[in-house]
Amino acid sequence: MVAVRASNLVKRFDQTCAVDGVDLVVQEGEVRGLLGPNGAGKTTLLRMLFGLVRPDQGSIELFGRPRDGSDAGSLDGVAGFVEDPSFYPYLSGRTNLELLAELDRGRAQAHIDELLELVGLGSRGGDRVSGYSTGMRQRLGIAAALLRAPRLLLLDEPTAGLDPAGVREVGELVRQLSSQGAAIVLSSHQIVEVENVCDSFTVLRQGRVVWNGSAAQMRAQAPAPGYALATSDDQQALAIAAREQGVDATLAHGGGLEITVQEGYLDPYVIALGRAGVAVRRLELLISPLESMFFALAGEARPDARSEQSDRAAVSA
Amino acid sequence: MTATRTLPPGTVVSVHSTRGDSGIWSVYRAERRKLSSQIAIRLLALVCLLGPFVFAAILKVQAGSPTDTLYGVWVHSSGFAVSLVLLAFAGSWGFPIVGGIVAGDIFSSEDRYGTWKMVLTRSCGRRELFTGKVLAAATFSLGLLLLTAVSSLVAGLLLVGDQSLVSLSGTLFSPGRSLGLVLVSWLLCAVPALAFTSLAVLLSIATRNGIIGVIGPGLVALAVQLLLLVGSGIWAHMLLIGSAFNSWHPLFNADAYYGPLIVAIVVSVAWTIACLGVSWLILRRRDFAGTPVARRQGWTTPVRVALALAGAIALLAIASNWGPVGVTATRLQANFTPAFNNLTLLQQRELGRAVPAGAKLNIVPTCSRRGSSPRGPGDWVCTMNVFIPQPGAVPFQQTPVSYDVSVQSDGCYKAQSPPAFIGNQLMRDAQGHNVVNPLYTIYGCFNTM
Repeated sequence: MVAVRASNLVKRFDQTCAVDGVDLVVQEGEVRGLLGPNGAGKTTLLRMLFGLVRPDQGSIELFGRPRDGSDAGSLDGVAGFVEDPSFYPYLSGRTNLELLAELDRGRAQAHIDELLELVGLGSRGGDRVSGYSTGMRQRLGIAAALLRAPRLLLLDEPTAGLDPAGVREVGELVRQLSSQGAAIVLSSHQIVEVENVCDSFTVLRQGRVVWNGSAAQMRAQAPAPGYALATSDDQQALAIAAREQGVDATLAHGGGLEITVQEGYLDPYVIALGRAGVAVRRLELLISPLESMFFALAGEARPDARSEQSDRAAVSA
Repeated sequence: MTATRTLPPGTVVSVHSTRGDSGIWSVYRAERRKLSSQIAIRLLALVCLLGPFVFAAILKVQAGSPTDTLYGVWVHSSGFAVSLVLLAFAGSWGFPIVGGIVAGDIFSSEDRYGTWKMVLTRSCGRRELFTGKVLAAATFSLGLLLLTAVSSLVAGLLLVGDQSLVSLSGTLFSPGRSLGLVLVSWLLCAVPALAFTSLAVLLSIATRNGIIGVIGPGLVALAVQLLLLVGSGIWAHMLLIGSAFNSWHPLFNADAYYGPLIVAIVVSVAWTIACLGVSWLILRRRDFAGTPVARRQGWTTPVRVALALAGAIALLAIASNWGPVGVTATRLQANFTPAFNNLTLLQQRELGRAVPAGAKLNIVPTCSRRGSSPRGPGDWVCTMNVFIPQPGAVPFQQTPVSYDVSVQSDGCYKAQSPPAFIGNQLMRDAQGHNVVNPLYTIYGCFNTM
């Protein structure tokens, strides 16, 4: 069943067109990554799906029900949050969840402790939210969303403020919900955080969809990954790269090489270096194929590998 | 966070409510809980509960009385007067402030905390959220009014007593009738109290600024008090949002009149409907697209609202002469003369003198307004020429008694005479007790319509 069907959505704020003719279809059980740089229209699109913002044009159906901004019934089975989840700071996390459960007509009151445990706030549920860190608020936001046992989960930057363990746990949670049949839309501007979680991606740029398809399609279309290579003889490594198929190498400013290698050609190149007596001292993935694809689609400048390396060197020093 | 156990999707929340009630009551319960947990609301409830006792206790140990307020002079004579004085004060200031504190931040707090996006993505729509929040605010406003009413009555009856209340016509109301009238008066004030609560809701939604929502109704009440002092036409005064707080005054006449009371209630209901209607239109049409930097709370909005309020006050001041002049010498004389007659008889009875039932003084009244205009609210002078029968050649002795009368636009007045004419505020009754001299300060109300 189709969980989300949005057609030709348009939203303007004064002179700015935040969302411009966006179509989005998400099936039940699918995890859709909504990607794009800041200001691409991801949050506005989610706000429209939630009914917080009325589209100037276009239509939205959630589980086949037309989305009407004033009708809460069309949000049955839908949960999540946009931007950072917000709560009443003078109340405890548990009381906040109890109030939200009350707005769901009291149907999930019995699960609050269970959910607080699930998101790792079992011992802090009685504390006032004003004392919570950003990550704790994010966890409480996820608990608030799960209170509705959603069939469609819309999450805007759900890993923002979380530590690496938290990011991994959110990913596991999303996969688990998805395996139970829930449709999930994850918005993010960090593809590395969601690339292993999502089944499909929609990339937005300046309010428009610039790419839409499955994760497999994106990987297939992705450009060759980039590596930083340090050898015992960079000039000879450069010469070998010129002879090898599928390898493109250039000398980096600070020493070493920057190489892009098409799929399946990295191993032969490294073996060729070894045979030529060139020792490989460092081989580091600079940018993944999906990340590279994302930067290309989103129109963002690729992070400068050299400056990244310099940063790392500075940190090491 | 361990993703080992989650609620299966769709198992808890379904299309149909399991509790079977409307989302409005879900919102109502949630708002009631939020309001109950706020310190300001708890303090307010404490003030409403204990304030009347403190007020009555202070009066008990003091000889003076708040004579500027209707029934103020009688606070030592009847516990019902204590409740009425508190009602008069609450009507002028208390209920608008209560409305502001209860409702002025009930919507704007969602903007301040950024929680609109959380509450609007649950199982309640905007209509249910609006209605539930308004009902919760109204419940707290009315609850605090009820608390003050009961507390003031209990304080008055416990600390002063359930003596008969002197009516605005100078007659005595039995304790039972007094109790009924006091309760009805508090009940009537619930209508304009709801109007101020609705105004606070409007300010909260329209400005998204808690400061304006909370203090706005109090400022409007101040403006209303000022506007009631200017102009002589009755229409502009009757249409003010707070004018209905005085609508109970005519009930305390021996011959009660109901025209102004009905108009006041209709006006309050109209204000309530208008404020809530506009509020709903704003909320229904609003896009919750986050708060742009330009819209974040600051002083721009309060300054704009203050300027708009000042403009509205200026316009209303100009319009305050609109309509016929309700305060005339004829009406004042027709009301003041029987009140003076009845209070004189009451005074004579308290002094132990025999006064036959239905006795009537021979009075020729003269009332004139100080200033250029012969009509309208303001300062008046009323001279009661009492003709006392005399044995001998001159059958009557003329005794003039002059009162300085301060008349308000709604026809209510306070009259005071120099002690040289009618004695001091306190006098000794036949039993030797100090009692209030009924003629020292005379309150009254007449119909201006």
